[in-house]
Amino acid sequence: MLNTLTQAFALITTWEVIVAMLAASVYGLVIGSLPGLSATMATALLVPVTFYLSPIAAIATIVAASTMAIFAGDIPGALLRIPGTPASAAYADEAYAMTRKGEAELALGAGVWFSAVGGIAGTLSLMILAPPLAEIALSFSTFEYFWLAFLGLMCATLVARSSPVKAIASMFIGLLVACIGIENPGGVPRFTFGMTNLFGGIEPIPALVGVFAVAQVMRAMLTPEPPPIPRRRFGSILAGQWKLTKKYNWQMTRGNVIGIIIGVLPGAGADMAAWVSYAMSKRFSKEPEKFGTGHVEGLVEAGASNNASIASGWVPSLLFGIPGDTIAAIAIGVLYMKGLNPGPTLFTEKASSMYAIYLMFIIANIIMIPLGIIMIRLASHVLRAPRSTVMPVIMLCCAVGSFAIGNNIFGVVIVATFGVIGYVMEENGYPVAAMVLGIVMGTMIEQSFVTSLIKSDGSVLPFFERPIAAILAAMAIGALIWPVLVWVWRKLKRAPVPAASAR
Amino acid sequence: MRLPDRVTGLFLVGLGAAAAYGGWQLPPVPGQPVGPNVFPLVIGTGLALCGLAIAFGIGRSFEEEEHLIPVEGGQPTPPTGKLYGLRALLPPALLLLYVAIAERLGFILTAAMIVYVTSTALGARWKVALPLALLAPIGIHLIFSKLLRVPLPPGVLPMPW
Repeated sequence: MLNTLTQAFALITTWEVIVAMLAASVYGLVIGSLPGLSATMATALLVPVTFYLSPIAAIATIVAASTMAIFAGDIPGALLRIPGTPASAAYADEAYAMTRKGEAELALGAGVWFSAVGGIAGTLSLMILAPPLAEIALSFSTFEYFWLAFLGLMCATLVARSSPVKAIASMFIGLLVACIGIENPGGVPRFTFGMTNLFGGIEPIPALVGVFAVAQVMRAMLTPEPPPIPRRRFGSILAGQWKLTKKYNWQMTRGNVIGIIIGVLPGAGADMAAWVSYAMSKRFSKEPEKFGTGHVEGLVEAGASNNASIASGWVPSLLFGIPGDTIAAIAIGVLYMKGLNPGPTLFTEKASSMYAIYLMFIIANIIMIPLGIIMIRLASHVLRAPRSTVMPVIMLCCAVGSFAIGNNIFGVVIVATFGVIGYVMEENGYPVAAMVLGIVMGTMIEQSFVTSLIKSDGSVLPFFERPIAAILAAMAIGALIWPVLVWVWRKLKRAPVPAASAR
Repeated sequence: MRLPDRVTGLFLVGLGAAAAYGGWQLPPVPGQPVGPNVFPLVIGTGLALCGLAIAFGIGRSFEEEEHLIPVEGGQPTPPTGKLYGLRALLPPALLLLYVAIAERLGFILTAAMIVYVTSTALGARWKVALPLALLAPIGIHLIFSKLLRVPLPPGVLPMPW
């Protein structure tokens, strides 16, 4: 244990890792604070760069950039009422109301302070949860993996903030995309339409860049430019945060726990955590009437929650290769690229790398406090960059980055195609996160499904015979039936009059 | 690009049916009950069923309205016209253009064009767009070609490094 820890320290105290982490932090802060550029997009555009780094440095950039971007989204939320990332949307109104009351320092300070606290809590959950789960997962066979993957996909559709039917359809589209290529049980070219470029299948990373970056540039073409940030001088940022920590200790803890739970659930990430925690905070507050008028309580809880979900999202990713959120989906791609294939054995064979990941999360959350304060003070300068200068550079990064992943120009075609697919889906209420999950998990779910069927000689019964498989199956089927039940219940509730008169 | 649910639903029915049929056509692995054909069959069927449900409006009541945050001082109304919506297709079109001509024209020139067009489309004046189109490609070329050793096409204007 101590030996592994020293090894982990040695892994992260190289110049490459330190420089990569600092650069990625600054990058994450800038991208996160620019409205319309999300944390997922920041991470997706980083991938081609990570290609050329050592495994630990590559993961360091992703950890640092995603952590910083989620916090930095609070800055334009508080100053402009425009959330920098969707994860800050839940409380942008509240933070802006505080700014108008002259409490901008308190709102932004709470953002940086409780983000750091939440991030560290999330990391602790990763450290505590993952190793024992890995012990259990070692005895999993393909049946358990199939149900786990199935459950993961179902979760993603349940928590989507849109119609569950559309979410399931999005997931199927993702799985269909994963069918392309020759990497299937028979090794035959499937859905390749004779194109050699499709034989290798659709790489998840270019697809993600398309869905999250190109689609965003497309949206920017049709939406008006956000107003520039007003110049202002800030007082002390961290003053009064300790008092808040003591006063809202319970709210902070609740935010951490909710964030951790939502992070672990596949497909649900920081934005969901923030919405749920803000709503919880209002529901259980002693003074709910103050919410919406510039009250810091909800900020504390939701700010802690969205950052807690970032680290805990890595739990299912590292253990099973099932992404906890879209950022973790990208991280999985990088892990595979770097030979750190997700799975329970990662925790026994590559224990020092795992400890290095924990340490990097903790360091990222600590350096977020000074870097975040600098960013807040510089915000009025950084946020002055008009969209018409940022978006073209992002376009170039999309083109070059997707080419760099396989040194294949076809990657750019995939990026453009998925830009259109992502844009059209989002416009019509199909959640793209569910599709992303389908693409990332498609091969895994097919493999476990077909291998299980071969093992059971085509019979469905063995899918329910092993105890853990049976539990997982019950949960997955429950998740499948749940929306139907709610729908029926709502139908019944809507027509209570004839029911009452009949009695 | 907001389409009625009936259209997207029916499109998904078609897509699902095509996938299921395509999967069914795949050759099975000899001596094995399940092969590469099973998974697309399941997915395609599921997708077609979902498409049907969407076309008939099942589950629509779950959709939440987007929380739009109005900007203080009134939002500038975007100009609306028939062709305005097509502007969204500009970014993917530029990327495909990159695929088509980058090899011959070289990275720097193609990239400069992409930057200039995107920047102008987003409302930048030429005083901003032109310097950006000159500097951004060189910067990106430095990072990716020099630092990360990505073989970007030199084309007619190779960089001196």
